[in-house]
Amino acid sequence: MPSILGIYDQPDPLVDVIKRLKNRGFDNLEVYSPAPFAEIDDAVIEKPSGVRIWTLIGGLVGAFTGFFITIWMSNDWPIMIGGKPMSSIPPYVIISFELTVLFGGLMTLFGFLKVGKLPYGKFGVHDKAYSSRFSSEEFGLVVDCEDRDVAEVDALLRAHAAKEVSLVEA
Amino acid sequence: MTPPPATPIANPEPLSPEQDSKINRDILAVMSKPTLGYWMCLGTALFLMHLAGAIWVYQVYIGLGIGGYTHPLFWGAYIVTFVFWVGIAHAGTLISAILYLFRAKWRNAINRGAEAMTVFAVLTAAQFLGIHVGRMWKSYFILPYPNQRGLWVNFKSPLMWDTFAISTYATISIVFFYIGLIPDLAIARDRAKGWRKFLYTAMALGWQGTSIQWKSHSRSVLHLSGLATPLVLSVHSVVSWDFAASIVPGWHATIFAPYFVAGAIFSGFAMVLTVLIPVRRIYGLEAYITNYHFDNMCRFILLTSIIVSYAYATEYFIAWYSGVEFEKTSFYLRAFGPYWISTWIMIICNGVIPQVFWSKRARTHIPTIFVVATFINIGMWFERYVIIITGLSREYDPAVWGIYIPSFAELGIVAGSFGFFCTLFLIFLKLFPVIAIAEVKELAIHEKAHAGVR
Repeated sequence: MPSILGIYDQPDPLVDVIKRLKNRGFDNLEVYSPAPFAEIDDAVIEKPSGVRIWTLIGGLVGAFTGFFITIWMSNDWPIMIGGKPMSSIPPYVIISFELTVLFGGLMTLFGFLKVGKLPYGKFGVHDKAYSSRFSSEEFGLVVDCEDRDVAEVDALLRAHAAKEVSLVEA
Repeated sequence: MTPPPATPIANPEPLSPEQDSKINRDILAVMSKPTLGYWMCLGTALFLMHLAGAIWVYQVYIGLGIGGYTHPLFWGAYIVTFVFWVGIAHAGTLISAILYLFRAKWRNAINRGAEAMTVFAVLTAAQFLGIHVGRMWKSYFILPYPNQRGLWVNFKSPLMWDTFAISTYATISIVFFYIGLIPDLAIARDRAKGWRKFLYTAMALGWQGTSIQWKSHSRSVLHLSGLATPLVLSVHSVVSWDFAASIVPGWHATIFAPYFVAGAIFSGFAMVLTVLIPVRRIYGLEAYITNYHFDNMCRFILLTSIIVSYAYATEYFIAWYSGVEFEKTSFYLRAFGPYWISTWIMIICNGVIPQVFWSKRARTHIPTIFVVATFINIGMWFERYVIIITGLSREYDPAVWGIYIPSFAELGIVAGSFGFFCTLFLIFLKLFPVIAIAEVKELAIHEKAHAGVR
């Protein structure tokens, strides 16, 4: 299956061409972007990112852990301190809050790696179409298509202000 | 009509250095071969750091007696400096998390430097928790780990909250810093050679800026900002409760949490300016860190200076209004007692001098900003000194009043903490991009796209 690489200078025509390609049924797209552009990412992947569930689970586990360890440990070896109840909630809210953030943050990191499929590829080996131009200021759009569609994709990319279009050898 | 077929090529041509983005070249140039001046700075910083290390080893051998501790003062310069560095750490998270949530785009040019400072300042601060305790080899007792004695830690103690707050803060700021760094590491990787190529390849995790990568990246940064925003407010609140939860006159005040948080942001911005002004000048980053950024940062300093001054005034007012003899005496002695110099340094440096930022000219005049920021750094160290030392030295019973004077050993370790911080920052400067390249580029590409429209 050949893949075609179009190089763009601007995010706006790129978003347009992605939408056109998706409408035409070319779903196998990959974009290399030098900077975060939400409109491009949302055009390629319509679903919201799955990182949210990781943060949520991390935060909930952290909040529970915070209350659990404080209440359980205070009662496991009961020592009266300052005449306060063994399970005194207000000070434990602080521990619980910190652990909510700690676990939530760490789970966000793991979610980022898992959802973003990082680490990606073999060590030091990039995608065929990737080049240092895409860590400069240009955008790359790779479209996988059938042999018979090459001409159509080529025309679409050029019609949307692609600077260069080339065939990436399979 | 069918267009001409695409030209088949194996790989698109890589860029020659001249074709590369100017932003890449300018910012990566900071990481080029160090000059003699750099080595001299690093040498000085390393010297101070090792000096402090030597003093610390001596302190472990002899004991805390080498400090200026005297009854009733057993919290001295170490705790002062601990609070100082935790405060410094706050600007980074404020800039990267809170301003991110407010969509303040001007943060892009300064957030990386500030985040790095946050990480290094927390690491510096965390050392003081170990330095200031006697028998530091038992400092792990603070962690709730299962042990043969069957004992658990006291979760009702503010010192315990502090342990959790500081370690969470250190962890989250490192995670935040690293996630933000990944796209820039990929930029550096594509252009580096030798050992740097290996380092950046390993750390960039195969980042290529694909949609799924950016999408999870943006989402993670958003979530981390959401988590870090209440965290940054909680950390210095918890530090303030180390004092406020006691009954020492001058400490036992409900205003402490907001007062400390405002002070932390105040001192953090001052330190960001102190560090970034020379970096910008030496490495020619004037195009990226502009007067606009300085103007905004100075406004923050002005705002937080007013909040801090208001807190000073409130403390005095409440001490008088409460009618409590001990509070009144404590605050009277702050201003006119043995530590009057520290108090007036604090009020002048934090309350009076920053008022020059009412003038737009001062907010954009770099030498003025640098001088004011330096005064604020000094003033904020003295603020903590005033709170901690004057509070403890004049407690309820005049029979146990005492005077604490920091010893040379303590001052050496305090100086060494600056050396440690500077060492880390100088190494960071040569190893990682000091400005978030991808985020600056985002703005540059937007501007290019809409240049014709405006």
